[in-house]
Amino acid sequence: MSRPAARFLLTRGPEFLAFLVLAGIPLAVTNPYALGLLTLLAIYGILLIGLDVTVGYLGQVNLAHVAFLGLGGYAAGLVVLKLNGGLAAALAAGTLVGFCFGGLLAFPALRLDGPQFALATLSFAALSTTALNELEALTGGAQGLSFSRPPLLGLPLTPPAFYWVCLLLFGLVWLAMRNLLASKWGRAFEALRDSPIATDAMGVGAYRHKVAAFALGSSLGGLAGALYALNFQYLQPQSFVYELMVILLLGVVLGGRKNLWGAFVGSCLVVLLPNLLSNRHLFQAISALGFIAALAAGIRGLLKRQVRPFQALAPVVSMGILVAGGLKVENTEDWRKAIFALMLFSVVVGLPEGLMGFLEGFLARLFHVDPPALPAPAPLDEVLPPRRAGEGVLLEVRDLRRHFGGVKAVDGISVGIRCGEIHGLIGPNGSGKSTLVNVISGLYAPGDGEILLRGQSLPRGSLFRVARAGVARTFQNLQLFGELSALGNVMVALEGSYGTPLPLVLLGLARAEERRAQAQALALLDLVGLADQARAKAKDLTYGAQRLLEIARALARRPELLILDEPAAGLSHPDVQRLLEILRRIHDRGVTMILIEHHMDVVSELCDRVTVLDGGKVIAEGLPDSIKRDPKVIEAYLGGLPEADAPAPA
Amino acid sequence: MPSVVVAQMVVSGALMGLVYALIAYGFQLTFASSRSINFGQGELVMVSAFVSLTLTLHGVPYWAMIPCGMLFGALMGLVIERTGVRLALEQKSEGWILMTIILGLFFFSGAENLWGRDDRPFPTPIPSDPIHILGVDVTPLELSVGVGVLAIMGLIETFKRRTLLGKALEAVSTDRDAAELMGISARKSIMLSYALSGAVAALAGILVSPITTVGPTMASALILKAFSVAVVAGLDSGFGVVLVGMFLGATESLASFYLGSGWREAPGLILLILALAVRPTGIFGKAVIRKV
Repeated sequence: MSRPAARFLLTRGPEFLAFLVLAGIPLAVTNPYALGLLTLLAIYGILLIGLDVTVGYLGQVNLAHVAFLGLGGYAAGLVVLKLNGGLAAALAAGTLVGFCFGGLLAFPALRLDGPQFALATLSFAALSTTALNELEALTGGAQGLSFSRPPLLGLPLTPPAFYWVCLLLFGLVWLAMRNLLASKWGRAFEALRDSPIATDAMGVGAYRHKVAAFALGSSLGGLAGALYALNFQYLQPQSFVYELMVILLLGVVLGGRKNLWGAFVGSCLVVLLPNLLSNRHLFQAISALGFIAALAAGIRGLLKRQVRPFQALAPVVSMGILVAGGLKVENTEDWRKAIFALMLFSVVVGLPEGLMGFLEGFLARLFHVDPPALPAPAPLDEVLPPRRAGEGVLLEVRDLRRHFGGVKAVDGISVGIRCGEIHGLIGPNGSGKSTLVNVISGLYAPGDGEILLRGQSLPRGSLFRVARAGVARTFQNLQLFGELSALGNVMVALEGSYGTPLPLVLLGLARAEERRAQAQALALLDLVGLADQARAKAKDLTYGAQRLLEIARALARRPELLILDEPAAGLSHPDVQRLLEILRRIHDRGVTMILIEHHMDVVSELCDRVTVLDGGKVIAEGLPDSIKRDPKVIEAYLGGLPEADAPAPA
Repeated sequence: MPSVVVAQMVVSGALMGLVYALIAYGFQLTFASSRSINFGQGELVMVSAFVSLTLTLHGVPYWAMIPCGMLFGALMGLVIERTGVRLALEQKSEGWILMTIILGLFFFSGAENLWGRDDRPFPTPIPSDPIHILGVDVTPLELSVGVGVLAIMGLIETFKRRTLLGKALEAVSTDRDAAELMGISARKSIMLSYALSGAVAALAGILVSPITTVGPTMASALILKAFSVAVVAGLDSGFGVVLVGMFLGATESLASFYLGSGWREAPGLILLILALAVRPTGIFGKAVIRKV
């Protein structure tokens, strides 16, 4: 069997098979209870895929997902009850409500990270429960809302038919999500989790992608809510509370984050959990299994020295409490929440990548499948067309100021960067070099002064908009997207290469474009000598390679002006020589550069002109050789010299 | 609407708001030292209140019960730090959010089963006959909440400023790495802050329970408001929480009067989301400068 065929079979085969089996079950089994569980499985599958977008890809704890389930459900129910809407209308209403409220919440909430984000979502969930309870005229309050399932195209939706509808939607969501995550969107989601600053600086827009991702996840929550409503044909606010939210998180985390199969496994768990708890013997068996698994994994981890003692011990203790509790407690149902808590605790500590993450790693070792071959690198002229440098001044900075409290980091700097030159920016530590480029590139808004690119005012205080205007930069403290491959890092920044509209991306019609982007990214990696490490994760590269990768990524912006913030910092001597060679080649293609550097040999070899800063002011400007002899520069670096020792002016 | 009634509600609401402020202050303590907070703090308040109630019912006198309850809270704070927070902080991840939620859920379930799901009265020697001050009725019980909250906050702030241990805590809050280089153990400082935070949470439970009764559901009712106060005031601002807490308590009691008790929590939640939209670092919080 050929390799691509084998790969296709191994990656897509299980999906297809699982779908066929799930679709076929109602033909063989007519037990209504089992059918109900299967329907819920499909619904929770959609819900958890949506939750995984925020929890997995954005890496944020989202406590509002259960609210979108509820709001979507009520929207669908009301459309059916009050507007006599059909199935499609109800589903559309649920999705739309999820999308709108998700977007509405995302705008304020996503300006924050971590705890504040979790708090905002928690508050939103509480607020929506309050609203559902109190808006009695619309929702029926605590009494609940009953309605009956509308027919589909005139045919009544029997339980099996409704199950197939749910399963079909689950399958479609699965496929669309896979296509989306393999596209520039998925890369942007991962990129902004690793470094929002670099995502902005690459012209991708961290904030808008965050909002888009959250709204997407929420609309899936709304869709699942609509199906949930049509499944039970009855809604009440108490169904959508914190406890369910925790169970959903348990599903995503236990199944495995950033993983469609993880969402499926998690969904199975969420559906089966109540049944597992209601049977005491089954519960005892499962907790014993969990205990043994935790014990085995803990001992193995400790022997291999892969984990800290706490990581090995805590799941064992936690599962031990579960086993002991299972023997002692009469009614496991009463202790439901504690049982969830103990299970979730063990998984989060002991198996952070989840069941599927673990299993996939295991399977990958068992069946080694090569990833699809990369295309040949595109010609460099296509990726980075040589440009005629042109005449005159490219970037002009006029009397720029930026103060932090009393610190005048940039205090009235004026400097002009000519087209096609490499302009050095040097100065002692704390002289304002980094602040200057941070203001130019939009990380900080200037306090005062003007920045003009080709005579046009450059956007102020927005990395994203400055990047879009044609200025790319690297970072002194590396800001790579650690979880993405080297290739992926460059592909994130290749913004101009993607044109396929979102609906076509969801349908999987962006493959050709992806190949082209891969080829272009490879050409840039080739330029910096990293083509053979294209597949390696950025965080696994050597330090020198990471610095070069930052340059390749910035070049993917096809910048007019490239700002390099200490590219040689921490590099070994041979690496510095490589860097010099690479920067010369980039310069030959007509890219204007600002180079902040402490290595004076690099500066003298590369730079056409040099500006020296001290105390936030320009103290000298000129050719590298004359700068080196300038008494003011020598004084700034070495302190004042006695009159007699001062070098004679050149 | 006679203004006396409004004033009455504002005053008792504001006094209740001081409890939210105290719980929010507990968040600030741990946030300062470790950039993390306990999402299960509400459950910690509730469990500590139940333990204190049990002590009282076993004949421990009220004034002896308070330190015991606070000691229990401090111990639980240490447990949470060890099991839920430390690993995530070592890995520089935000896993502590999920972990503390999980621990909270465990406490909740435990309380539900050990003490039952019903709300129970909390006996107190402080009288609840209203006294008349400037035309407004205030009970000594309500006043005791205000006095207790301000006293403990004043005590902890003095501790942070005047003692060597407190200054070490402040040092870790300001710059963890620099403090470690000066020989201060960041880990111990974080443990101390979690212990203080737990003790403060327990005191909040003891103060509020005679007014609201004790029950498992008090956790979620308190925690959301405390979150709102902490975020609106800013997670790093000392006494901002007191002002915001009193303001929130007052709006809340007005909202429940005018809109119905079901809407009681709405102002706090809306205030929170609005504050995040307008000023994410909180009204009294410091703006953060992004560094690269």
